[in-house]
Amino acid sequence: SNAKDAKSTSDEDDSRDIVQQKTQEEILFHEETIDLGGDEFESEGNETVSEDSNNFVDKLNEQMMESVIISDSPNNSEDDTGELGCLQEIVDQMEAKDNQKTQTEVDKEEFLSNESETEHEETPKDISEIGTDDQASLKEESLQEAAKEEPKLGNNVPVDTKPNNIDESTPEDQILSPSTTKSSSESEPIPVCTIFSQANNASSQPQLFLPDGFEPQMVKSPSFSSIIETPVKSNPQVVQPSPSLSKFFGDTASTNTLASDFFDSFTTSSFISVSNPNASSSVSEQMSSLSNGGDSSSSNSTLHVQNGRSEADGPPSSLEITQSPKPFSQIQAVFAGSDDPFATALNMSELDRRNDAWIPSEETRNVLISVATQQYSTVFIDKENLTMPGLKFDNIQGDAVKDLMLRFLGEQAAVKRQVLNANSVEQSFVGLKQLISSKNWRAAVDLCGRLLTAHGQGYKKSGLPASHTTDSLQLWFVRLALLVKLNLFQNAEMEFEPFGNLDQPDLYYEYYPNVYPGRKGSMVPFSMRILHAELPQYLGNPQESLDRLHSMKIICTKILEHLEQGLAEDGSMTNITQENRQASVQLWRSRLGRVMYSMANCLLMMKDYVLAVDAYHSVIKYYPQQEPQLLSGIGRIFLQIGDIKTAEKYFQDVEKAAHKLDGLQSQIMVLMNRAFLHLGQNNFAEAHRFFTEILRIDSSNAVANNNAAVCLLYLGKLKDSLRQLEGMVQQDPQHYLHESVLFNLTTMYELESSRSMQKKQALLEAVAIKEGDSFNTQCLKLG
Amino acid sequence: VMRLTKPTLFTNIPVTCEERDLPGNLFNQLMKDDPSTVKGAETLMLGEMLTLPQNFGNIFLGETFSSYISVHNDSNQVVKDILVKADLQTSSQRLNLSASSAAVAELKPDCCIDDVIHHEVKEIGTHILVCAVSYTTQTGEKMYFRKFFKFQVLKPLDVKTKFYNAETDEVFLEAQIQNITTSPMFMEKVSLEPSMMYNVAELNTVDTAGESESTFGARTYLQPMDTRQYLYCLKPKQEFAEKAGVIKGVTVIGKLDIVWKTNLGERGRLQTSQLQRMAPGYGDVRLSLETIPDTVNLEEPFDITCKITNC
Repeated sequence: SNAKDAKSTSDEDDSRDIVQQKTQEEILFHEETIDLGGDEFESEGNETVSEDSNNFVDKLNEQMMESVIISDSPNNSEDDTGELGCLQEIVDQMEAKDNQKTQTEVDKEEFLSNESETEHEETPKDISEIGTDDQASLKEESLQEAAKEEPKLGNNVPVDTKPNNIDESTPEDQILSPSTTKSSSESEPIPVCTIFSQANNASSQPQLFLPDGFEPQMVKSPSFSSIIETPVKSNPQVVQPSPSLSKFFGDTASTNTLASDFFDSFTTSSFISVSNPNASSSVSEQMSSLSNGGDSSSSNSTLHVQNGRSEADGPPSSLEITQSPKPFSQIQAVFAGSDDPFATALNMSELDRRNDAWIPSEETRNVLISVATQQYSTVFIDKENLTMPGLKFDNIQGDAVKDLMLRFLGEQAAVKRQVLNANSVEQSFVGLKQLISSKNWRAAVDLCGRLLTAHGQGYKKSGLPASHTTDSLQLWFVRLALLVKLNLFQNAEMEFEPFGNLDQPDLYYEYYPNVYPGRKGSMVPFSMRILHAELPQYLGNPQESLDRLHSMKIICTKILEHLEQGLAEDGSMTNITQENRQASVQLWRSRLGRVMYSMANCLLMMKDYVLAVDAYHSVIKYYPQQEPQLLSGIGRIFLQIGDIKTAEKYFQDVEKAAHKLDGLQSQIMVLMNRAFLHLGQNNFAEAHRFFTEILRIDSSNAVANNNAAVCLLYLGKLKDSLRQLEGMVQQDPQHYLHESVLFNLTTMYELESSRSMQKKQALLEAVAIKEGDSFNTQCLKLG
Repeated sequence: VMRLTKPTLFTNIPVTCEERDLPGNLFNQLMKDDPSTVKGAETLMLGEMLTLPQNFGNIFLGETFSSYISVHNDSNQVVKDILVKADLQTSSQRLNLSASSAAVAELKPDCCIDDVIHHEVKEIGTHILVCAVSYTTQTGEKMYFRKFFKFQVLKPLDVKTKFYNAETDEVFLEAQIQNITTSPMFMEKVSLEPSMMYNVAELNTVDTAGESESTFGARTYLQPMDTRQYLYCLKPKQEFAEKAGVIKGVTVIGKLDIVWKTNLGERGRLQTSQLQRMAPGYGDVRLSLETIPDTVNLEEPFDITCKITNC
């Protein structure tokens, strides 16, 4: 009988499958029907409470039973069971017997009879049946009801379709799984081989150059003629990969000069900006060529070569050839200084090394090695591997507050609004800082742009060769950071784009041995890497953020490993004093912690709470002093999910760990958490009590103030709530004109009266006095 | 009128820099000054500042609909005998939600009458909150106005069940519960309330070292579109098991009681309808094995106990 049973179960599986199929299709045709059916089913349990509707619902249930069953009778061994013998066996083993539902409706039996062969193609047949059936029930229902319900009931459509898909996929997975595992184990060795060979290839190239730079270049040198053809602004890429020896030999004499001319003017312009980073006024092409002439005449001709190589890929080789007559020993002598690791160590300040340390990718490292060791060889760098940033938009300066004032308060009032702009401050870092601290971030972005333009990386300069300095990268960092702070993520992404993954060779000090002799590491500030990694998550691509953060984490961990092994940060054999090593470990640990922080934040944004909580836990390891705050934060995460019990547990842990803070702070934190806990339990009165208690200890606590006001609203005390918030804003506008506070305030104004506009405008005036151009006017809801 | 969903926590976007960077500690200072950050851990994204709901949001069956009703006197006249009535009109019924039906004697200019109403939503589909206000002006004129607020109640969960009938009269119930909302859902309780004929054992925890551990692991919540499977074992109570005839045909097994929580403890509760199953039919006479040895020696007699039931 077992076999029979199994068969019938499988039959039923199939029937259900079809039913689901039908429901799916049905949705397409009669959206309302399925919803109503499902709805009644779900609500039914509750309905008993309200007696009036009981009869009605019961009636409905009778009619709607079919759809109830449909949504109600799933199996695990899904759909295709009929054809899949192994699944049947499983069913047998489980001793699953006849699975017939009690509610054997006419409909259903029809399906069963249809069901001998389960193919999706069959479904259409049945659709009509069930469709009409449901239509009938719909009619009945609509008779009883006011027709109100019918519009806009399609909400559940995607919901209903999905489970079906899931169901279908499961059995296949089960069956496939053994075979896939096998195949994967078999294929393992192969990739290993390729990896090795690839690695060899990659590393062998530069190593070929290492012993002596001459011959390999000859082969690879690009044709001169093509160099000439390329205008300064076009891609050297085009030039580089087309080496034609015949041309090269034939044209040497004639092209040589041309090439070098071109090369000089081209490279030195950027060279100048490298060596004179403080040249604040824009470096014009002519100026550069002028100074270039001076430079070239100066004794250090090799310097030219070096820079040329770094700037454009093609030209250097040609230069190299011109230089080739030089005796090798001479060359060696010239570069001995910069090449010697011990000498460089002396030149390099501890602090610089510690902060700038970064581990480049294999590819980049090879380029850097060849730059450092092979002064006379060509270093072929794809233009793609160079960083050529430029401003992507000219001017985002603007003052939204002023605009709103113009609109609502008239011109007179608007004139009074005075904020600093890029013109009103010193055109320097000092002015920049002034703008930032006065919260005029838009103006600050603008000023950054100007300063960058002075560095030759201004508007429309993107895609043109550029040279980088510590300052230029810092400026970029500030600009991009401000853009992020202003929520202008798109713009930030656009301008970040030329920087690639921040690992291009020209972003390392080693790339400019003459400008930064002996200095090692990356010019890119660590914070800029963080910013770069975090950015995608604000643009809806948190996965990319995680990827970037993970690769940062790997490098940080590697650096820490190096330090532990007695090496320098980048793994080189540099002597570091114990003291410095300690400081470095500390720095890198905190940086690693910062990366973990970002990861946790990113995971939180992705709503992957389990991983986020784990990540925050690991942050605690790096920032033990923040344990109470972090634990509270985790507690709040659980509150957000709705897991009050776990939240409570964390809050209790906080109370244990709170001794890490000073008395007042820990007291506030404990009270705050208790208040939140009461919020989670829907006890606004108690929550309000705790928030008020915090205010008794620390009357200027903005969070407690705001939260207490929010609680009051939920308690039905709108006026009191408003009074509290208004009082808070008036008391210290400098501090409390915060987006979130103002948002709450305007929301309550809207609730209070249909004449909220006046009050909002009053807020606008307050904002106009205190806030800079970075103020987010959306929270005023004046739109 | 404003729907009072739970407030949300303000999240800020941390932008940090290091001391040696150009802005110095400027960015960090800015974050410290920002009242919405967590003091001492400014990089923590999730702040403590509560913000009011920004839109109506979604409301799901089984959740509690809370709303703030405020009647504000915008005029400069005192009005008298104000009566505020809030009704909720669903597809099947009309409920009165006002806490008090007594009229307020008078309302001065710029004052308001506040009421917070709560209602556990028990129906799916269109709901209309009808707020009616009647009052008397200074001139003695009777005034009356109504406002309608329409919203949709959606289905939060998809529940599917399946029965497995064991040879031993036990019934296993497998329930798939899917979160079809758009927010994560913490399942506080999913229990089976058996009908009077059955005892139920939940099979959703694994005992390890004396501590029962949920089969769902550390993940206590359901992400949108996630499905969980719950398993229950139902045994007929002794008195019914004896009478085999009773558990035959259609029987009521019980119903699932589901309690969940979302943002900041917003609670929802649903029950399924009575789950019914068709008990396997055994015809008139049923033969079942009571005992049978699992190994026997060759050429040795062994005992089997059979039970024949007249159904």
